[in-house]
Amino acid sequence: MDMFIQQLTNALVVGAFYSLIALGYSMVYGIIQLLNFAHGDLYMVGSFVGFTVLSLFSGQPGILGVAVAFLASMLVVGLLGMGVERIAYRPLLKASRLTILITAVGVSLVLENGTMLSYGPSFKVYPYQLPTTGFHIGNATITFAQIGIILISLVLMIGLQTFVHKTLYGKAMRAIAIDQTATSLMGIPVNRIISMTFFIGSALAAAAGMMSGLYYGQINFMMGFIVGLKAFTAAVIGGIGSIPGAMVGGLALGILESLGTIYLGSEWRDVFTFAILILILVLKPTGLLGEKTTERM
Amino acid sequence: MNKNWKKAGVALSIASMLTLTACSNGSAGSSGSTAGSGGNKSGDILIGVQSPTTGSTAKMGQDMNNAIQLATDEINANGGINGKKIKLTFADDASDPQTATAAANKLVSEGVVAVVGGYASGATLPASGVYHNAGLPMVVTAANSAKIPAQGYNDIFLINGTTVHQGEVAADYMVDKLHGKRIAIIDDNSAYAKDLADQTKKAVESKGAKVVDFEAVNPDEKDFTTLLTKLKGLKPDATYWTAYYAQGGLLIKQFKQLGVPGAIGVGDGANDPTLIDIAGKQAAEGTFVTTPPTAEFLPDAKKFINDYKAKFHQDPGPYSALSYDGMRLLADAIKRAGSTDKNAIIKALQDTNNFKTFAGDVSFKKDGTLKKSNFIVLLVKNGKFTLPQQ
Repeated sequence: MDMFIQQLTNALVVGAFYSLIALGYSMVYGIIQLLNFAHGDLYMVGSFVGFTVLSLFSGQPGILGVAVAFLASMLVVGLLGMGVERIAYRPLLKASRLTILITAVGVSLVLENGTMLSYGPSFKVYPYQLPTTGFHIGNATITFAQIGIILISLVLMIGLQTFVHKTLYGKAMRAIAIDQTATSLMGIPVNRIISMTFFIGSALAAAAGMMSGLYYGQINFMMGFIVGLKAFTAAVIGGIGSIPGAMVGGLALGILESLGTIYLGSEWRDVFTFAILILILVLKPTGLLGEKTTERM
Repeated sequence: MNKNWKKAGVALSIASMLTLTACSNGSAGSSGSTAGSGGNKSGDILIGVQSPTTGSTAKMGQDMNNAIQLATDEINANGGINGKKIKLTFADDASDPQTATAAANKLVSEGVVAVVGGYASGATLPASGVYHNAGLPMVVTAANSAKIPAQGYNDIFLINGTTVHQGEVAADYMVDKLHGKRIAIIDDNSAYAKDLADQTKKAVESKGAKVVDFEAVNPDEKDFTTLLTKLKGLKPDATYWTAYYAQGGLLIKQFKQLGVPGAIGVGDGANDPTLIDIAGKQAAEGTFVTTPPTAEFLPDAKKFINDYKAKFHQDPGPYSALSYDGMRLLADAIKRAGSTDKNAIIKALQDTNNFKTFAGDVSFKKDGTLKKSNFIVLLVKNGKFTLPQQ
């Protein structure tokens, strides 16, 4: 039982990171059918922005300092995401999906190498790390940091869900996902809504990046690559394009990975993950929460 | 060894000589013309130094060259070898197999009597074949893949311990010093880490202890909590990480966070102060590190460090002490051989009996590796690597 609680906590923390990044994947796919392969790198940039802001505080930044860095990271990366959309994707929106997909790979390379040039190729140690205090349930150790990460992720996800379903902007996003041309004929500023979608998706990835930096304490310019692939897998598992799907997919992936590690050994963890991806694509291409004619978003 | 190798060696030598003459300027051409003369013209003993002075490991090569130069200057100042002075000629292998082969051919064609150096195993491996075909002895000062002695050459000598040695030292420490009966070994599936993990497992089992967990993680993995939770249930007495510092630091941190029992230690790939930064000072406390002897931890190397600093205005690098000792060992062998005949030098190197180096006494096994390992164990104390009190 102790082991079960411990593994579940571990899985939920990893799953929370995947979910937050998967949300951006899903939203962008939902609205313009683009698999934004640069999304994992926005997560990486998020952790680097957090790193930079935290480095500005001398000594311990405290809760307030971390909160400032957290918001700054979300804001900067959100704007970066908007910029990427404006420069790299918008001119190609009418082109074939393959063209824009290749551009996304290009953006990913630019972000990775840009970060490498600015910060150097070596691993960076986060200037402030979450305390490792916590409590015990039997033999299991659960830290406050883990609970914090899970809670913050939940709040962000619920906030997003509310935004999409309860506000006018959310309604516009869902409308664009169904029919872009018709929506623009209704007088809705399509480009602005797409831009906003990129902002939200990128900011969520940055939140994950910042929390991962605080939690693991070590960042590197390549850290977004594999996480991006995992988040993509999470989005597909949940049903790409669906927001609740991305949340469920991320958490499911975290749990699946833990199971893979326990029963097959650590080296098989990624094999297990991507095997699941293939299985889902073969057996239920619409994902866990996807329907035959799914309303994207 | 066999015909094909010889043919390949001859072909390579010819090819490289052609390239040398074709694209080199006057000075290289003239050094090529002294081929086979052993540098006897001036009465000096010509010794080749192979190291990477360009590419990503250029700093290591420079450190090695400095240390070898320092040793040579000292020997020459003390009257040289049997009345003759040592002259060095340097070749850059860029830690790259192709460049290394060209560098080796350059040294052979310059007529060196022996070679010292070799940083990356990947570059040292093909170069050692070239030297072997030319009948030249080589003292390897840094490269330590078990594949180098496995070639079965009788003229390549490694004064740096191999993964076999390191595995033994790790097993000795965990089983004898820590009285460990249940050992866990984790690697990251890279060739080097896997090799070290295998050798350590062998050594641990031969000492009668049990390997309770033997696992690899993905090279990009950051979250080891699932693995460590499992490990916690297995209650190991000691856990050994054989890969690099970036993940090693995270592993140590999460190890302590989850409260896995027993000691934790790392191999030389993780011997970097960043390991302690990533793990955090508190979590890193008490971590053991198996590592080749670096100058700062060798009590006898104080004078060497001071001389080195005075001459080059920088700290010695991780392989400086070994390179310095490698050059001294080679000079000693030439002295004992009493001539610059290659076979005599090889024989003298084979007969090396407890030659004193900073890291201990050197004698060679038949395969050219150390009889007694020179790896040392460091402990993290107050956020620093320190030599434990004996």
